[in-house]
Amino acid sequence: MPQHQYRAFKNTFGEFGGRYVAEVLRPPLDELEAAFIAAMNDPQYRAEFDSICTEYIGRPTPLLHARNTSREIGGAQLYIKLEGLANTGAHKINNAVGQALLAKRMGKTRIIAETGAGQHGVATAAICAKLGLECCIYMGEVDIARQKPNVFCMELYGAEVRPVSGGSRTLKDAVNEALRDWASSFANTHYLIGSALGPSPFPDMVREFQSVVGQETKAQLKAAGATPDALVACVGGGSNSIGFFSPYLESETPRLIGVEAGGRGMNTGEHAARMNGLGKTGIVQGYKSLFLLDDDGQVQATHSVSAGLDYPGIGPQLAHLGSIGRIEFTRATDTEALDALKLFARNEGVIFALESAHGGAAALKLAAELPPSATVVVNMSGRGDKDIFITAREIAPESWKRFLEQEVQTL
Amino acid sequence: MSTTAIMAHMIPYFPDRELSYAAAHGLIDSKVDYLEVQFPFSDPSADGPTIEDACGRALASGFSTARGFEFVHTLVDRGAPPVFIMTYAGIAYASGVKEFCDLAKQSGAAGLIVPDLPYDYDEGLYEAGIAQGLAVVPVVAPSTTPERLAEVLRGRPEYVYAALRVGITGAATELGQDNLEFLDRVGASGAKVLAGFGIRSRDQVRMLSEHVHAVVVGSAFVKAISAAAEAAGPDEPAAAAEAVYSAVETLVSALRPD
Ligand SMILES: Cc1ncc(COP(=O)(O)O)c(C=O)c1O
Repeated sequence: MPQHQYRAFKNTFGEFGGRYVAEVLRPPLDELEAAFIAAMNDPQYRAEFDSICTEYIGRPTPLLHARNTSREIGGAQLYIKLEGLANTGAHKINNAVGQALLAKRMGKTRIIAETGAGQHGVATAAICAKLGLECCIYMGEVDIARQKPNVFCMELYGAEVRPVSGGSRTLKDAVNEALRDWASSFANTHYLIGSALGPSPFPDMVREFQSVVGQETKAQLKAAGATPDALVACVGGGSNSIGFFSPYLESETPRLIGVEAGGRGMNTGEHAARMNGLGKTGIVQGYKSLFLLDDDGQVQATHSVSAGLDYPGIGPQLAHLGSIGRIEFTRATDTEALDALKLFARNEGVIFALESAHGGAAALKLAAELPPSATVVVNMSGRGDKDIFITAREIAPESWKRFLEQEVQTL
Repeated sequence: MSTTAIMAHMIPYFPDRELSYAAAHGLIDSKVDYLEVQFPFSDPSADGPTIEDACGRALASGFSTARGFEFVHTLVDRGAPPVFIMTYAGIAYASGVKEFCDLAKQSGAAGLIVPDLPYDYDEGLYEAGIAQGLAVVPVVAPSTTPERLAEVLRGRPEYVYAALRVGITGAATELGQDNLEFLDRVGASGAKVLAGFGIRSRDQVRMLSEHVHAVVVGSAFVKAISAAAEAAGPDEPAAAAEAVYSAVETLVSALRPD
């Protein structure tokens, strides 16, 4: 973790961010901000975080030069930050560890969290098991159905997974349910939010805990003698991207490219892309940012093949950095993500999570447009094990069906 | 004489347009003292399952912000008691907070309650509301610190909504000495205290009567309306409207302490 004196943050990013919550939630947020700043200035807390990073998460995660792919496309040198090799399978664990340690310092005994793909739920459940904290994960019924392996793991770690049946039964509804829980439980409970969004201080906090991804990548590139021309990451709420980009936010280079879920088309309800004019400024779930809204401000339906990108809002700092042009945004469709996933599996022996494969798809496109002297780095925020029920159905439906039928018979 | 005022909460277009008008008429005719009209939001993260479901149904029945103001206007024309529009920040912000205040004023509303636009993140709500002569009602909770409460009250609001416990709407509330002391602290400022969250019985109303200006009853009305509509079924709209009308009347008289 960076050793600079941590300064109090401003709670807003340009016109975005803020702490738009009912008074009932003010005390826990105010308490959290104070505890976070104190922890960041406490060398003992940082040392504890760093030690869990090495002995438990498995940091640093490798930076892979994707030589076969670079050669095949004949463009830029493509590097892949293998963040999915972190214990529990995704970048989510960095933030879960940071916040769980903080919660413990604050004397909280219970952790609640929302999860979409289940990666954040798995990370939270795992670190709670390790630190001896009670853990309750809210997860939409739709996501429970499509990310069953993660539900199984969360329960194995001893967490309670509470299905959420309200609204669209996906990630945003799980956030609502966690907020409802927290409004009466905050005396002993910490809400361990999983992305760089929500009311302040969450976006600042999550970025800080995820910045380890960017810092490592920067050092690894330097060691490899490469200067990045572009960094590419998928963007759901924005935690892996803001952490990956964090060392470069104040400079003009490299290009920073966020990739949103293009889903299966650009009609309402068919995608989850909020940038490039698709989202409207609004206030939802305690923060101001760009959201997919109708004219009355009602939140609209979203779709993505990847549960982790299937969310109508984007973290406020990303919305701001997009509006001032520091971060460019593009999208990848469901199909493009699946194609990228197949390509990297075959060329590099690496299976991307479906979320990360959106970044992979955009990185492939960009690399093809650049000369071999250029360097493009993509963050593989997660590995694809959890997605097997989706990818197998999409890629090899017949043999997968036969396998499942056999499984049912042997049960 | 303890004539604690009752503020009845309802949701336009829940369970549908006609039945929500029937409910409102029942509330007006049974002489509740205030109406709290909640403009539904797709993501009501401060509401429990009863109001969350009702908001979802209202949106599915065609609620829009414009129709919400039309609803309020119609009730005011029919002689409604003071109407307070309650909603979430996202809805007020989408119209533009100032525009939302203008429209609220034009509809005849007396005030606005937007819990997630607190005074220090209000998007200009307090200024615009006051300029329009609307009462902007801050919402405080027992967890609100004395320092923060002082800040909330510094703007000398005419009304303050005091949640009787932490948490969300819907769940039962055990009233104890703590609640009453909290209400007295809020009321000491001279603001008229509207107290709610989990109120569903005459005993609770009676217990609060010395400590508040009005008692707010929300989920209990939503449940009564929903039960009446369901019992009547979808085939006889006129009968359903009558059932909803009398269900709210029955609940109002069950709550009145006399
Ligand atoms: C592997 C992976 N990548 C990315 C995301 C998207 O979240 P964020 O934008 O916060 O990184 C998720 C969310 O579940 C995820 O599991």
